[in-house]
Amino acid sequence: MKRFSKIVALLTVVAMTLTMLGGVALAQEKKTLNVWHLWTTESDANAKSFNIVLKEWQALHPDVDVVIDATENEAYKTKLKTAMAANEVPDVFFAWGGGFAKPFVEAGQVLALDDYLADGTMDRLLGGALDNVTYGGKTYGLTFIQWVGTLYCNKEMFDANGVSIPTTNDELLAAVAAFKAKGIVPITVGAKDGWPAMFFQNVYAVRTAGAQLSNEALSGASSFNAPEFVASAKYLDDLVKAGGFDPGALALTYDEAKMPFLAGQVPMIYQGSWLAGEIQDPTLSQVVDKVVAVNWPSLSDGKGDPNEILGGAIDSLMVSNNASDKELAADFVKYITENMSRESFKLGAGIATWKIDMAGIEVSQLVQNIIDFASKSTGAVLAWDTFLSCEAAERHKSLVQEIFAGQLSPENFALEMSKLQ
Amino acid sequence: MDKVLRDRRAIAIFILPALLVFSSVVILPIAFSGYYSLLEWNGAGKSTFIGLSNYLEMFTNPSTYFVKGIVNSALLAGLSVFVQIPLALGLALLISHGIRLEGFFRNVYFIPVIISTTVIGQLWMKIYHPNNGMLNILLTDLGLAALKRNWLADPSISLGAAFFVLIWQYIGYHMLLMYSAIKAIPTSLYEAAEIDGCSKSQLSRHIAIPLIMPMIKVCVTFALIGSLKTFDLIYVLTKGGPIHATEVPTTLMFANIFLNYRYGMGSAMAIFILVECLVLTVFVQRFFKVENYEF
Repeated sequence: MKRFSKIVALLTVVAMTLTMLGGVALAQEKKTLNVWHLWTTESDANAKSFNIVLKEWQALHPDVDVVIDATENEAYKTKLKTAMAANEVPDVFFAWGGGFAKPFVEAGQVLALDDYLADGTMDRLLGGALDNVTYGGKTYGLTFIQWVGTLYCNKEMFDANGVSIPTTNDELLAAVAAFKAKGIVPITVGAKDGWPAMFFQNVYAVRTAGAQLSNEALSGASSFNAPEFVASAKYLDDLVKAGGFDPGALALTYDEAKMPFLAGQVPMIYQGSWLAGEIQDPTLSQVVDKVVAVNWPSLSDGKGDPNEILGGAIDSLMVSNNASDKELAADFVKYITENMSRESFKLGAGIATWKIDMAGIEVSQLVQNIIDFASKSTGAVLAWDTFLSCEAAERHKSLVQEIFAGQLSPENFALEMSKLQ
Repeated sequence: MDKVLRDRRAIAIFILPALLVFSSVVILPIAFSGYYSLLEWNGAGKSTFIGLSNYLEMFTNPSTYFVKGIVNSALLAGLSVFVQIPLALGLALLISHGIRLEGFFRNVYFIPVIISTTVIGQLWMKIYHPNNGMLNILLTDLGLAALKRNWLADPSISLGAAFFVLIWQYIGYHMLLMYSAIKAIPTSLYEAAEIDGCSKSQLSRHIAIPLIMPMIKVCVTFALIGSLKTFDLIYVLTKGGPIHATEVPTTLMFANIFLNYRYGMGSAMAIFILVECLVLTVFVQRFFKVENYEF
């Protein structure tokens, strides 16, 4: 028995030594690419398209070991910021352009991609695709999709209650009153998370002030304390007071709030185009093919063109300045974003930011709706929280929540916003 | 053994590993936080030394909500000491006096303690849900629809709603500590008192409570410190909202570091919480003099 265990021990040692040697040999041949992203929900359109494109890339590069680390949205922000502080940034990472990535770029943690884009890549990108990932004239990331703020209306519920899809704010208020009278919550919003609530004020500002003035104010060139921005808060305040939202909305997260819409209990939700994928997914939604998508209703006294949209290209992939193989990482980002642009578009996550071959691409009616009104757009404003610096963004979301709670007058909202500039 | 204990070098060698580990995981991070708290730093770029400005700002600038956070946590500490501990003591006395199903009740009260706080937060989010939450549905079914509230959405009541869960969650914990202390009292003391004609309530008042005072002191310390550094449940339940109604110092610390990119400010808050807890612990130890009994 003793001898037997000795033999076993010896064999184990030999086996372990061999695998170690094997590991070393393999490691020398294979390169490793660490990639962090936030597409944890498999049903998410961008998650699906990323996985499709990743497989394609891996087939082209069998010598590279891609290590994926996916983290849920809010936790991802925390994780990435911690990694930045600790100087442990992965080779390739997802980041929002605008105010989110600005401190990283300024800290020199992000690689400028200009040198890698001169090979004709630039010509394959659509205009405006890099606006939000360009800092000081240099490009620090590549986008793949432009999201579009969309008012999703459950056509079946509208028809059943004899309400027409709103195209003006008066019609929206009439629809709110009609649904409320029947005991139906008209619009669902996850105001606890801040950003879904913020969309409403932001899109009203697109209507009252227009895209140009909104963007000027966001970049600090003109003041938020202007009648147009007071009006944007006033319109939202009126919508809240008219009972447009669930009175308990401030306790609901985005994930909780979209459920009654997907279950066909609430007729309206205003969200990014990324929600289209979930609405058309029969395993998640009971309203497949029952939803129409429209731009936010127009105002009779608004300065903005009613075709302007809330949205923009801000989701991007970036390369770390400390990446072990910068060439490889940049190549990865180029390939993934260009092809994700096509795949995500097919799945309805938004409008492609690359010039993609549209032949043979069939999209659902819902996605077609979004493409139709987005292609008419004459100007776009990003969600304010992605444009503003982090601290101002948090304060901004908190101010909009105060409007939802009925505790902040439109005048004070504009005044407080101007203090952040 | 005595010989080893007299050998200073041996003592030094034996405590060295633990000391090193303790320093590297506790003392060093605190020292770093103390240093960061004097900086204006976004976590990624260059930092500027600004002295005590962060400390000054968190108390003077109302839009940091820090003073509100301290008031909220002080309120929670008050509730813990004056509501939670007496309730836990009452339950401990009740179930330790040989009632039927003693073990069953002890376990039931202890269940919230063993469930992860995140799960409890999710659970109560569902209970408090404004439309299909258990609480509002129950109120409707009982004909008390007038009492229905948007428990976590209404800034005037969300603090109460969140604190209720916190108090509820840890009652079982304090109860178990005191229950075990009561059970450690020799039965001969009770028997002697009973022969002298003590009633059940007199037994509790004159025998049990005085003898478990050391444990009550431990519970008070835990409750105080726990309240001042409470984070997880508030974060899951309300994230400090709606509109900052339920902020506590720790949620503000988190928001400053990870949402506002203000590592310096967040660290200053962390240091304040640390000092606050230390001071209160010393205070409790000093002013809560109890005699320890050996049975």
